[in-house]
Amino acid sequence: MFDIIAVDISGRHMENGEYFMVCVAVSFSVSPDHIDKTHQVNIRQFTSINAPEITDVVTMVEKTVEGLDPRATIVMEAGDMFNRPQWLAASMFSRDFKYQESLGERRAIEIAHHISVSARRLLKIKCSLSLQSDKGDIIN
Amino acid sequence: MKKVIVVQRVDPGSDELKNKRQLTELKELAYAANYSVVGEVIQSRYPDKKYQLGKGKVQELALAVGSLNAEKVIFCNELSSMQLYHITDICKCAVIDKFQLILEIFALRATTRRAKLQVELARLEYEIPRARIIVSHLKKEERPGFMGLGSYEDSYEQDIKGRIARIKDELSHVQSHNDSLRSFRHAHGLSLVALAGYTNAGKSTLFNSLMDEGVDVADMLFTTLSPVARSMDVMGRKVILTDTVGFIEDLPHWLIDAFRSTLNEIFLADIILLVVDASEPLDIMHGKLLTCHDTLWEQVHGASMITVMNKTDLISHEDLNGKMEALGYLVPNPVLISAKTMKGLDELRQAIRDKLPVWKRKEISMPLSEHSMSVLSWLFKEGVVHSVKYADQILVDLEAREEVMNKIQSFSAK
Repeated sequence: MFDIIAVDISGRHMENGEYFMVCVAVSFSVSPDHIDKTHQVNIRQFTSINAPEITDVVTMVEKTVEGLDPRATIVMEAGDMFNRPQWLAASMFSRDFKYQESLGERRAIEIAHHISVSARRLLKIKCSLSLQSDKGDIIN
Repeated sequence: MKKVIVVQRVDPGSDELKNKRQLTELKELAYAANYSVVGEVIQSRYPDKKYQLGKGKVQELALAVGSLNAEKVIFCNELSSMQLYHITDICKCAVIDKFQLILEIFALRATTRRAKLQVELARLEYEIPRARIIVSHLKKEERPGFMGLGSYEDSYEQDIKGRIARIKDELSHVQSHNDSLRSFRHAHGLSLVALAGYTNAGKSTLFNSLMDEGVDVADMLFTTLSPVARSMDVMGRKVILTDTVGFIEDLPHWLIDAFRSTLNEIFLADIILLVVDASEPLDIMHGKLLTCHDTLWEQVHGASMITVMNKTDLISHEDLNGKMEALGYLVPNPVLISAKTMKGLDELRQAIRDKLPVWKRKEISMPLSEHSMSVLSWLFKEGVVHSVKYADQILVDLEAREEVMNKIQSFSAK
């Protein structure tokens, strides 16, 4: 078993003049071909008026994984890090970082993706209903 | 053997080892297609829209083709139809890319009707986006129609589409037959075990060792093209073991789609034996394992996996331990074997047995009659009979799937 934190960000596209992004970090114990255990889920929302750059993505991920197992490796899709080489992306994080490789890690990312998409949908409804919209963190 | 020149364009600053590995693989593929590589051209630059390489390099390539008497040029990079047209124009010989080369190998090895159809389907699907552009290039300086007086009838693309539809239709018949065969096997308690893995990992050798069969094996890429299935006894349980076509890096999706009915043997299996060549350097093993995980990810749902570390006779124990430690996160349920020396096959059989669906084990009693004897013979066929005692009644220690247990219980209750 290996401890990982699967991270996915939804909403990296402009909608109504802003980027409304939801970053999800899920801490798992995985085997090479399946997920053994789900430990904790962290969800954070971010807004920005500019398109997020790689440093913004790192900031969002670092903020979202706060409080999760510090020994676990952050696992993301290469596309989320603008397909930068792994050594470059890994050097930007304060924790261990890698791109998804095994079937277990891919499944973990898939779950994180489902959570981030659903959470973003719910948060959008909540924001549109509340009188004073809760915008979460503003990254730029 | 036809003489060929292999060409690779690499992005500046890209992984050198990976590039070298890809070029070596291209040469092995060329060898598998009965070509002899007489030269290689490598250029580090970003792709050129017209020539893939720089124009000067293509002219250099044309000179090399002339001096080495090469009959073909094989590119490691995927070529657009426009690039294909322009490079052929300068080199004055046939130019293909890696995917066309794979198709050529598949065409060479295709023996069954189904395999031949799949090869043709893949070739047509590859050709269709290129067809229109090639025709437009060819008739650039022509006036359309007979004697330049009429309009062209662009039937080439339509012909390809029609042919694709006909092949797909024919293949779907084969597919439905295979599906019903598969569900029949499942209904009879036969679990499906498939050998998967990178090409030339030793799947066919392992298949032969496990089955005592004579399937073609060779130290060559894509030796197996059509899946071969045999029934195998694994410690009392019957399974169908299938040898399949190997994976390769950057296998395009249209090729996977064309060979879907072949690859379905893997995708619909209950247990997948992921065969890995453990004798290769660590970085190559890592790359090949990634390709396997990548190919399996899209298609496999819920199948158990066993990683078979093959060719362990070629490396030392310490070396193997080091590799296992480094790649542990990519190798589910590893079993160390050597298919050639038959080492570790019992452990592999045990691992397969452990992963098979759990059957119920129960002692049942049947009246001592002629009908019970025929039921007993049926039980020997359908389950695992651990012991039979003949007393006033027949006592059978039986392990079988639920449907058989239900049937036999209703019989013994009568």
